[in-house]
Amino acid sequence: MADKGHASGYRSSMIQMNRLMLRYPTGKIALSGMTMNIEKGRFAYLTGESGAGKSSLLRCLYGGVQPSSGKLTVQGLDMRKAGQRQVRKLRRDIGIVFQDHRLLFSRTVFENVALPLRVQGWKPDRLVARAEKVLEFVGLKDRLWSFPEALSGGEQQRVAIARAMSTKPPLILADEPTGNLDIGTARHVMDYLMELNRQGSTVIMATHDLHLLDTHPGDIFRLHAGALAEELHLVTGGGQQTRGEESDAPEA
Amino acid sequence: MPRKPDHGMQERRMPRLPGGFSLPPFGLHQWLALIIVCIALWAVGLFWLGMQAGSSWVQGWQQDIRFHIYLEHPDATRMQQLAGKLRAMPGVAGVRIVPKDETRSWLDAWLGASGALSDELMQALPGSIEVTPAAHSGEFLYADLADMARSFGAAVNRGEAHLVQARSLMAHVEQLLWFGTLIIALAMIIIISNTLRMTMLARSDEVQLMRLLGASEWFVRMPFLFEGALLGAGAGGLGWLLLWPPLLAVSGWLEQLGAEVSSFGLLLPLLFGGALVGWLGALLATTRMASENTAPA
Repeated sequence: MADKGHASGYRSSMIQMNRLMLRYPTGKIALSGMTMNIEKGRFAYLTGESGAGKSSLLRCLYGGVQPSSGKLTVQGLDMRKAGQRQVRKLRRDIGIVFQDHRLLFSRTVFENVALPLRVQGWKPDRLVARAEKVLEFVGLKDRLWSFPEALSGGEQQRVAIARAMSTKPPLILADEPTGNLDIGTARHVMDYLMELNRQGSTVIMATHDLHLLDTHPGDIFRLHAGALAEELHLVTGGGQQTRGEESDAPEA
Repeated sequence: MPRKPDHGMQERRMPRLPGGFSLPPFGLHQWLALIIVCIALWAVGLFWLGMQAGSSWVQGWQQDIRFHIYLEHPDATRMQQLAGKLRAMPGVAGVRIVPKDETRSWLDAWLGASGALSDELMQALPGSIEVTPAAHSGEFLYADLADMARSFGAAVNRGEAHLVQARSLMAHVEQLLWFGTLIIALAMIIIISNTLRMTMLARSDEVQLMRLLGASEWFVRMPFLFEGALLGAGAGGLGWLLLWPPLLAVSGWLEQLGAEVSSFGLLLPLLFGGALVGWLGALLATTRMASENTAPA
């Protein structure tokens, strides 16, 4: 039985954090001394109640907010020391899926999906082909020239996933991507994210929908009050799936 | 790229630019800015057309301008001395003592060929010296001529002084026009900047998303810079078109005055000038964009 779940081999680490703290100007402590390591190619869930720090942690990962103290390294970049240019470069290697999808309603599906490609400097003659390919992956190739307002909620989220994966980023961050969706649509969205993970992207997904974990297993990092309460790694081998348990933080 | 058929729904259709991109939204604010800047550029164009007409008219008769100096009780010696002094002055291209016969012919034509009257008048008339100014004679030539004439007891035709001043007056007007153009350009920059600032606020989700995707600041600003330049150029083009009605209305009058005016010379300045103020307005608007890449906690 091959144990691939244990956090080991920092050389293959996508995200490392050590005693990470985040305190907002209002005084609220969003993250309090979090220590975590997420390896490349993993599918990791961030779970916990509202206010546990899931979204704040994701914001730290894509540089939306700078940690107050501690160490955070994302794809080898020290986030506390990173400059504006480095943060921009990092973001080009990250695909982000939001709960409210954040599509541009004044732009077509094509323009929404092609935006990350344009940011990276893709030539215009390649954009349509690439957009068609990623939309085909999420089953929306025929909606290339539609506007988001003409799509259902599930379709809009699928377009958001297509946008996030259009540049084949090594890291995908998803903040409650199934929060506004029904169970069936949510499972489809999870299927796409799982497939992206199988294709090599590291996926970190914040969610409080624990039902998804049963059908779409992955590493679980349970947060509570800004700290890591529990860490479960998915261990596979020999055709069986087991979970290795670790609890290196105070009980919730 | 041909559109796929709808799924039975009435989907919004928008014109697309090459490459499949939608035109940016053009709302009320943009229309208002376009109209205001168009009117401002039209006014600027009108002023410069007027300047053009004035310069053309002044140049038309100034090429033939001559100064006349009159010497009472003339004798040949004094006339020659005065003419010699005038000839030696800088800015004087030519000096001619007007013969009595020529003066008589002119008077005959003016008075209706009354020979007896002309004879009496001829006795009382002063001697005339005609001075031709050089091409770049300077604005003090008339005063210098007047001084020289006074030293011989002569006088310069005062009516011709006003004609000389017209050229320097046109130069002053042109300077004022440049100043006015700069002031109006500044106002247009502020108007366009304000409009684009509101546009950016309305499209803040797009700006924020581009930043989240790792776009550089220039990538974020570029659409707005482009929009500002287009707005300005569009206003310039419209302003140029609006010059034609007043130009056609006064074309007959200008023809009578011999003033040549062409609005085609203003087309490129209005287009590029409008684009420049639009671009500068957009630059001003986007310069104040707060960077939201990373907020310190």
